[in-house]
Amino acid sequence: MSTADVETFLARLYTDEDLRARFLRSPDEVLSREPLSAQQRSALAAIDPSELILAADSHGHKRTSRRRR
Amino acid sequence: MAAAPDRFGLSWRPEYAAGILCHADEIDLVEIIADNFLNDASVARSLRTLSAQLPISLHSVSLGLASSLPVETRRLDKLARLFDICTPDSWSEHFAFVRAGGHEIGHLAAPPRNDETIDGTIKNIHLAARIVARAPVLENIATLIRPPLSTYGEWRWMDHILNAASCGLLLDLHNLLANCANCGDDPGQTLRRVPLDRVQTVHLSGGKWIKDPRNPDRRHLLDDHLHDVPDIVYDLLSTLAELSPNPLTVIIERDGNFPAFEIMRDQLQRARDAVASGRARRLQHHRQEPQLEHC
Repeated sequence: MSTADVETFLARLYTDEDLRARFLRSPDEVLSREPLSAQQRSALAAIDPSELILAADSHGHKRTSRRRR
Repeated sequence: MAAAPDRFGLSWRPEYAAGILCHADEIDLVEIIADNFLNDASVARSLRTLSAQLPISLHSVSLGLASSLPVETRRLDKLARLFDICTPDSWSEHFAFVRAGGHEIGHLAAPPRNDETIDGTIKNIHLAARIVARAPVLENIATLIRPPLSTYGEWRWMDHILNAASCGLLLDLHNLLANCANCGDDPGQTLRRVPLDRVQTVHLSGGKWIKDPRNPDRRHLLDDHLHDVPDIVYDLLSTLAELSPNPLTVIIERDGNFPAFEIMRDQLQRARDAVASGRARRLQHHRQEPQLEHC
């Protein structure tokens, strides 16, 4: 359980709308199914929901505008 | 030997091609998004023509060097081929990861700032420098989310990497401003924590305030490159020029909502004025220092 697993989970949170919605509803439930350590789960559960929504929106907007070009 | 002069340029956008080429005598260099030229040899060769008119700097956005995961060598191979075609002045990338576990984020994301990403980033920079035959200058990113699992503050984390990899810093002043605004930090004090001896290049851009989706009393500064450079960024640039021992290359970025080219020229002039005032204060301090010693 390395930082690479955390980076992968973050990349999924930014790109998978369904996963993000479930995480925002119940972070502990989503994280319990991930191959992460207790410390990693606790740090990820503490993500500020507003910041996650805004970051994911911003990344999504960039993905869409890049595809259009 | 005379110090190298500060330089001023623009990010290259087709919308400004005519304006840039008509005013090439006022523009010291242009910055090119390398990723737009990696997959088509004929498009890449157009850069050779441009580089005969003006010095160019390549700016990469999709390598994802700041990660505990290894950078993909096929992307570095493509970049090395672009170097062969257009011989750029320099190249830069970001303190960001852009993919992990097969998931493409499609944009610059802040990784956890910890020992694993410090080690991974240093390895990635060394590999990139070996394949491209030149080390990148690395840029601080704007992030709307504080990266979890971080054991370092932003600037301490970057400082470790820059020192270990012996890299220059591309200091994006609007990114610095946005992160300070969103974390409640003072941008002037944060600027003084930047490793100033590493700063080679400076980005200026604009952004806008956005509402918090859950809390009406909170707002966030988005770095969107769609707005003019705000006054506070010119103030930060002036302070940087006062503090920085190095010649600076200042680039104004614009990704959309393009104003008339005259507006971009005005912003370039404001950047020149800000650097000139900072350099004048720096010179004044240096002149005063020996006198103080005699007091």
